[in-house]
Amino acid sequence: MGIKNPNKRGAVAMQLLVILVPVLFGFMGFALDLGRLYLIRGELNQAANAMALSAARQLIGTSASTDFATNAARLTINNANQNANKYNFGSLIVGDTTGFYASSVPDPSYFAVAADAMGSESSGGAADGTTAQYVQANITADAPLTFFALLKGAASRKTTVAARAVAGISAPLCTACGIENFAIAAIDATDLINFGLTPTTRYTFGYVCTGNPQPTPLTNTAQRLPYLLLDRYDTGSTFDESQQLFRIGGGGLPGNTVSTQACFRANNTEVVWVTAAPQACNSLSVAQSVRNMLCGVSSRLTTDTPGTCTGVTDIANLSTSYTVDTDTTDIDDYSTYAGTTRRVITVPIVDALSATGAMTVLGFRQFLAEATTGNTSNDPGDANGRFQALYIGSPVPLKQGRFDGGCQAQSGPGKVVLFQ
Amino acid sequence: MRRRSRNGNTVIEAALFIPILVTLLVSIEQLGKLTYTYYSIKKALYTAGRYIGTQQGVNFCDAGDATVVAGLNFALTGTTDGSANPLITGLTPDMLLVSIERYNATDQSLGACDCSNTGCDTSTGGSAPDFVVVSIPDGYAMRPIIPFLTLDPILLKPQVKVPFTGT
Repeated sequence: MGIKNPNKRGAVAMQLLVILVPVLFGFMGFALDLGRLYLIRGELNQAANAMALSAARQLIGTSASTDFATNAARLTINNANQNANKYNFGSLIVGDTTGFYASSVPDPSYFAVAADAMGSESSGGAADGTTAQYVQANITADAPLTFFALLKGAASRKTTVAARAVAGISAPLCTACGIENFAIAAIDATDLINFGLTPTTRYTFGYVCTGNPQPTPLTNTAQRLPYLLLDRYDTGSTFDESQQLFRIGGGGLPGNTVSTQACFRANNTEVVWVTAAPQACNSLSVAQSVRNMLCGVSSRLTTDTPGTCTGVTDIANLSTSYTVDTDTTDIDDYSTYAGTTRRVITVPIVDALSATGAMTVLGFRQFLAEATTGNTSNDPGDANGRFQALYIGSPVPLKQGRFDGGCQAQSGPGKVVLFQ
Repeated sequence: MRRRSRNGNTVIEAALFIPILVTLLVSIEQLGKLTYTYYSIKKALYTAGRYIGTQQGVNFCDAGDATVVAGLNFALTGTTDGSANPLITGLTPDMLLVSIERYNATDQSLGACDCSNTGCDTSTGGSAPDFVVVSIPDGYAMRPIIPFLTLDPILLKPQVKVPFTGT
């Protein structure tokens, strides 16, 4: 201490400043750059979640499904409408490989087992389209550094941030929404996997009728599965009954804020649609309600509206709401199906069909509706309400559903959920 | 004398430095707050998108659709009826825009889903969209409060696109 040149004070401050500047930039780096890195990680995580969810919807157990899924994942970062998921305060598009800050979005990887999909390496256990149930989406993106960039070691002014998300098809649902209301009886109720049905076999759906002789199955099908239409008549809807049936046939139960209207629940009891009561087999006729429903099924296969569908109110206008499946070919092997799942129908399996009493729902299974052999569509005017469908098990995730109901299903369709 | 002048030097130096230092520190804090606010909003939008995107019977063509309103309220306040205090001050449901997109498998294009019966107007027979986009078209204005500086508000415009997996 003691005597010092007063001018030295300033010099000390200057020295201090020189030493402090890198330290200060370091701390500003921690405060700002690190904060932004966390922001970017969050934004990329959301983008990855959206990609994985979007892709998982397309995993329907066909060979082409992974290609569709990859395409669907990329739609979330498609900036055609300026709506792509972005990062760094929304300034950089995820997947943009041009520019100083690039991001790479490899094709998502697909897995049959959740543990593989959530594993640290994306290499092991990759699955093909027919078995894929889980999708892992990865994003690696350059994040800008502003203050760290002034320090040695971060002179590249950017660093990479990675995000990963895993989505897949859930456990079997107990409440299935948006499905079709054709109820068929379990052939073998003790078979918890297929209820006695044989996968990749064509069946004839035929409306229940009374008396003899029973209608024959359609050509090229194994046997006739009698069905009933379960009641989901919505008194609150602006559509009349014929339109409601057409809509269910065309796209499954429409979305409804009243869950019991839009869904079927396992172990619940159901009754037949009131105006679709079975008629005598020998009258060669089914109720008009059934025809209206089958007109809807027809809209999945062809843009033509069969003449028998004039019973549906305003059919010309309503039918334009429904797109035709992009793959309407007649197939025996479900794995070769390459459509949009428009003609997949999910039906409740009941313990026994009853036109007068209650039926208990056991589970849900899926069929691929097919055109009657030699035609472009099913025939809604069929005297016995018959149409062809290929039994496919339950590979297609449902649009919506829940696990409540305590059904403890061993098998059945799931829905898309985010795992990680 | 000498001693006093030294003290005076320190005081003057401190008087010169402290405002700069405070400005710097507050700027850092405010920029951090900006980042935090942006991410909070983005997270709220994502919550809204996921909430709305997993519901049944959403009518996107009705501006006052109960499900959409509930979803926005839930994201912004944590309650579907909007009764709780907003999580982000000044961010109200009417500032948010929920738009819908659909992928056309035939011509492989992604476009806004129009409100018609061939589009996404479920009340006239249309079917559900494929993607839900939640955005703030006019932005959330945040003014950094930094001493000695008057700054224009910064508009934060996060947006989120999530797949619609409801019915």
